[in-house]
Amino acid sequence: MERKKLDIGLYGFTGCNGDQLVIIHSEDKLLDFFASANIRSFSLAKSDNEQTPLDIAFIEGSISSQEQVEHVQEIRQRSALLVAIGNCACYGGIQAMELGREGWDRRFQSVYGENFFEVRTPIESKPIDAFVAVDFRLPGCPIDADQFFAVYSSLIRKTKPQMPDYPVCAECRWRENECLLLKGQLCLGPLIAGGCKAVCPSHNLPCVGCFGPVEEANVSSEFALLKEKGFTVEEIRRRLRIHSGSGVLKSLKNLFGEV
Amino acid sequence: MREILVEPLARVEGDGGITIRAEGKKVHEVRFDILEGTRLVETLVIGKTPEEDVSITCRICAICTLSHRYAALRGLEKALGIEVPPKVQALRSLMHLGELLESHSLHVFLLALPDFLGYPNAVAMAEKYGPEVVQALALKKFANHVMTVTSGRMIHGENPTVGGFGKYPEKDILLDIARQAQAMIPFAEKAVGLIAGLSVPDYFEDDTVFMCCEPGDDGFGLMGDRIRISDGKVVDAKEYRTLTNEKFSPHSAAKHCLYQGKPYTVGAIARCNNLGERMNGLAGKLFKKHWNKRWLRNPVFNNLAQAIEMVWALEQVSKTVDAVLQYPDDPPIVKPTRQSGEGVGSVEAPRGTLYHAYRIQDGLVAEANLIIPTGQSLEDIEKYMRKAVEILLSQGADDSAIRLQAEIIVRAFDPCISCSTHMVRFERHDPR
Repeated sequence: MERKKLDIGLYGFTGCNGDQLVIIHSEDKLLDFFASANIRSFSLAKSDNEQTPLDIAFIEGSISSQEQVEHVQEIRQRSALLVAIGNCACYGGIQAMELGREGWDRRFQSVYGENFFEVRTPIESKPIDAFVAVDFRLPGCPIDADQFFAVYSSLIRKTKPQMPDYPVCAECRWRENECLLLKGQLCLGPLIAGGCKAVCPSHNLPCVGCFGPVEEANVSSEFALLKEKGFTVEEIRRRLRIHSGSGVLKSLKNLFGEV
Repeated sequence: MREILVEPLARVEGDGGITIRAEGKKVHEVRFDILEGTRLVETLVIGKTPEEDVSITCRICAICTLSHRYAALRGLEKALGIEVPPKVQALRSLMHLGELLESHSLHVFLLALPDFLGYPNAVAMAEKYGPEVVQALALKKFANHVMTVTSGRMIHGENPTVGGFGKYPEKDILLDIARQAQAMIPFAEKAVGLIAGLSVPDYFEDDTVFMCCEPGDDGFGLMGDRIRISDGKVVDAKEYRTLTNEKFSPHSAAKHCLYQGKPYTVGAIARCNNLGERMNGLAGKLFKKHWNKRWLRNPVFNNLAQAIEMVWALEQVSKTVDAVLQYPDDPPIVKPTRQSGEGVGSVEAPRGTLYHAYRIQDGLVAEANLIIPTGQSLEDIEKYMRKAVEILLSQGADDSAIRLQAEIIVRAFDPCISCSTHMVRFERHDPR
């Protein structure tokens, strides 16, 4: 018996559109992707988009205006499942690296002066789950195409997607790279979720943390290890916060009492 | 009072839009709205290391991620007193060519062409232009491959780093890239012919100023420390503030720029108008065949300029691969010679001149100023649209004709992708 095709929507909020582009750039898989479901909305790729009830909404980007808050709430209301794709949607992205600290108003003014927007009401950028419930997170800056299509295939078959529960270090060892921490570099591999296939260490470059924190990372022991290597807490925290946004606020607070 | 709101797309995204307000035949307002959410990137890089800055600023845009990376690297390396060896420069040129091809092929074939041929999108266009669409996708895929090989990943690859590259691509892979580029030249040439055959309306033509990087070697190119302006001046990129004079516009999250109080244009058409005579090879022949004085007054020729640049870039790929391979040894990453300093990096992103200006203090970014191409062309986008709308209204044109013309003008400038797909909001207030 043929499976009923699900209704799918893809949406982009604040970010670089890189996650939707990862999907569009997968030319070989794109036709199968469009054939596998009813793609009701995918504004980066097509023009005849519909505002209909959805089985799954995929959302890229963070929320950075009052209008976007209303829009993401509207999408949530008509979607059975909501999947955040990319670091901006999952953790707020680079524009959320200062979350939890004062000073957004001041920073906004330093860029745009005293002016206001006629057409949008800007707010401090936050991840999707700050406003609506999120059912799955697929992190990455950008997402990994193989991981996206694996998760997508599971979801349209209504099975639970398998997400990597191991850090970048595991993938790095599978690729038989030399450990950059042992070479004295500030590599975030132990703290960061796998999924990128350890791309940076495989280019002799330290992990910058662009997939966000791995679940159950032992943040405190990694900080201790990196401190032993001669890095300061400030250096480690600064680098970790660049791509991890809201994802590390809790562990940093537990560890240091502040973010 | 009549109000027409045309939203071709149900309320999704809203990254960019056109607003036209008119009463009878009188135009009240014509504007291009950039509605992309604010990210305040210039404030985020303060207090970060140069390496961290590069990892942050490339993420401004997924299409021109490598232009941002390149501009940042050049600005930061100047500030830190780093000079990279020729092999690094050659591989950076190759990654930059890959990005130009990726961005231009996406814009010319998938975004701009459907307007002219009367289709809502490229998929619909494929019914009549099947082979062209298939080859356009192959060209885009090849360009993505060049970006992946050089930068480590299709989007936001970290391999190009301060002082060099983490890892160099293998010789066989580079030679294969050179072969593939050669094989794509006939299609790119055909595309130039196809686009040159489209009729470009002339009623909104007007004078403007063009700016681009001066490559400094008598050749056509995408990078340089000086800026060439169509009024004949050549100015050091360090003077970027006087050239671009950013101003804030309340309907746009991007800042508008003016040169000596006047709008100006950057991008492929600016490069071709200022430097096109220097192209050689097939691209040079095509430029001489198709360029005419209307290019100086009509932004829609940017589509043709991009098509000719694609031929130039494909011809350039094999030369650049040779330049990389003439140095057998992979140079180690060059270390900074100082920890404090200032530097301006200017490169040609696909859409035009991109500036990354930095002040580094004790190894950390103390000040950053980034000026993006789309912001520089915004005033001209509105100028040409306004002229077109005024004339169309005086001729009694209907909304759909006005909307299509406005969209064609905005798209020709190739503003950032999410802005260029669907954008018209049309409000008309008629006294009746």
